[in-house]
Order: sequence, then C-alpha cells, then structure tokens
Amino acid sequence: MRRRPGIAGLQTAAATRDQFRLVGENVAKVRTDVMKEQLATFRSQLEEFARKHKSDIRKNPIFRQQFHEMCAKVGVDPLASNKGVWAELLGIGDFYYELGVQIVDICIATRSHNGGLIDLLDLRKLLALKRKATVESLSEDDCLRAISKLKVLGSGFEVISVGRRKLVRSVPTELNKDHSGILGLAQAEGYVTVEQVEKEFSWSTGRAVDALETLLKEGLAMIDDGHRDGKRRYWFPCVTISSDTIVGEAK
Amino acid sequence: MQRLGDFRLPPFFNYPPYFTLQPVRETREKQVQLWKDLILEYCRSQKIHTISLEEDFPLFSNPKIERSLSHEAKEVFLAALVSEGRAEWMDKGHKRCLILWLRIQDWANLIINFVKDNGLEVMTIEEIRSGIDTRGTELEGIERSVLMRALRQLEQKGKAAIFKGTSADDEGVKFSV
Repeated sequence: MRRRPGIAGLQTAAATRDQFRLVGENVAKVRTDVMKEQLATFRSQLEEFARKHKSDIRKNPIFRQQFHEMCAKVGVDPLASNKGVWAELLGIGDFYYELGVQIVDICIATRSHNGGLIDLLDLRKLLALKRKATVESLSEDDCLRAISKLKVLGSGFEVISVGRRKLVRSVPTELNKDHSGILGLAQAEGYVTVEQVEKEFSWSTGRAVDALETLLKEGLAMIDDGHRDGKRRYWFPCVTISSDTIVGEAK
Repeated sequence: MQRLGDFRLPPFFNYPPYFTLQPVRETREKQVQLWKDLILEYCRSQKIHTISLEEDFPLFSNPKIERSLSHEAKEVFLAALVSEGRAEWMDKGHKRCLILWLRIQDWANLIINFVKDNGLEVMTIEEIRSGIDTRGTELEGIERSVLMRALRQLEQKGKAAIFKGTSADDEGVKFSV
C-alpha cells in the first residue's frame, strides 16, 4: 500500500493496522475452529481405535503405554473417571484400580521388613507372583500410573529416585539428603558400614551414626553384627533386588 | 531355594541381618515371628522334639552367608515359643527345650482320630511309638513324654485308660471311643 505523507498518511496507517488485526483475529478464530474440529475428529477416531484394539491394550504393556501417550496428546485421560466412555470401552479403570489395590497390599505386607520403602523392580516381581503373570506383562509405566492414582488417596504413596533406582514409598517418612545419600551408597552391596559412609561423604563419625541410627529407627535398616571382621553392617531391604532375599508374603 | 536336607528354607534365612537380634521393636517382632514359624515347621518336618542350646542345631546357622545365631538370640526365639505354649523348657538353666510343633491337645486329638480310623482298641505305648500301624504317620517316633501327656489328657476325658503290663515294656492303653 502506498504510503501517503502527513497526518492523513498516519491515519491510513492506523486504519491499515486495525484491518490487519481484524483479519489476524479472524484467521486465528478460523484456525481454532479448524483445530477444534480436527481434535473432535481425532478423539472419535481414538475411541474407534480403542474399541478395535481393546484386547491388545489390555494384554500388551508397550502398546498400552503408547496408547496412553496418544491419549495424553489429545487431552484424554482414560483413567480420570471410572465411569464414562473410556472406562466402559476398555475397563481400563478397573485394571489400574485393581493394580493399585494389589500394590497397597504388597507394601503393607512388606512394611515390617523394609520399613515402607520398596524397590520398584521388587514390587513388580511380587506383583507378578501375586497375579500369576510374568514381570514383563506388568510394565514400570503401569505401576507408576497406578501409584499416581494412589497418591490421590493422600496415603503417602510416592515414587522417589535414589541413586540408580526408583523406590516406592508407602509411609509418610521423608528422607533427607543424608539419608538418600546413604541409600544410594547401599545400592552397591545392599549394606554400608559407618566407616564407608564417613569416607564416601567425608562426614564425621557422629553425623554418619546419626543418619544410620535414624534409618534404623524408621525400620528402613537392619543391623548385622555377624561378619567375622567384627564391623557392624547396616542392611537396607529396600535396595536389595534379588528375589532370593525378599520376604515375599504377599500371596 | 536353599534346602536343609529335604526341607525348603525360607528367603529370610539368606539375609544376614536376621541372624542378629534387632534392637528396633517392630523389626524385632517381625524377626521373632519369622524364626518362631521356621523352628516349628522345621521340627515338624524332621520330627525333632527337643533342641539343645549346647549342641549345634543346623537351623541356627547358615554357612552360605557365614552367619550364626548367638546364644542370646536362640534363647529369645525359643522363649517366645514357650510363652506361646508351643515349647517348654526342660531344665531350669534353659539349656534344653521341648518343641511342641503340635500342642498336647492336638496330639490327643490326633491319637483319638487315628484309633477311630483304624478300629484299634488296645495298644502298647511302644506300638504307638514304633509299631507297624503308626509307621508313616505323625505318631511314628513321638517323644515318649509327649505321648504320655496326651494319653493322660485323654484319660481325664474318659476316652482312654492307661494300664501297666507285667513289665515296663507292656505299658499300654485301652481306648473307649
């Protein structure tokens, strides 16, 4: 548009800007409408997809996870309500609800052994036993989703990362940095000595003993005075993976 | 799974801290519970009636992990069984312990049912302990004192009468079911 000099020119420029803005808004509106329409189409296609592949979604954990990710992209949460289209379509609400109940059972049953902290892989192994299924059929993703639903209960269920592992916490006990550090260190052999803790973190004996004794009192650690070197070892059931040493009472 | 003879050992047996008496109450309670159950199950399966704290008992150490129970720990676990009525100290010094993997009451019931099922009326004590009829049953090899106590219980209920024969070997019992 050819610029005209002077006030008239300015007025034209302002009017032109207004025009563009209106057009811009219209374009945005059209875009939103189109998007909404596309989204609605996508949602119904997703429903169709879920109907068709209901059995695969139930049986295959990898497929299930990808399905969840697809749903998340379009803002659908199949677990949000036990009623409604999704729950009826897939009965998926029941699957996670049932899983959540079993997780609670296992955490309660093992609490006196591990103090309320359990390695996520251990949990999956015990779940597999309980459900008479393979560990592979119950993915980490499945457990994390079920646990996130449990959090809604305000029961203190949480997944925390310590060292290289994920632990499921089912008691309100908070772990401070000293404690997490010790747990991380214990992941190497399943236990630590006061000496090892002192060396690793450059702590005083007092600080090391304090932290270990707190963990002991919380039921997260057990003492072992039976080694022939005479050094007391603090064992942490929550970092032991081997199913050999699990006190698996969740039958 | 590890075995002791033909007995399957539970997973906790391989976890070293369980061989040290735990100071924290809740953890200790769990530990005592596990050991109590293990002792009863093991004794029942191996038909062991007494444990002597002065002799080696295979259940009290695990060479695989190089751990053994201290004398104190053994006493604690056995004392727990005693207070539950599942064991009895045989001496004041708490050196020998009678393990009642079945209570006397349970033994009495077992005997009466056995006698009913097999249509027996009179048996000698030795026949009950080592005769053909009881071979392969839980009665085989039953500790004499335990057997006598069970029989006396039955006597009090009028279901049996203990009598002496011409010699000690002939001690017997007549059942009235």
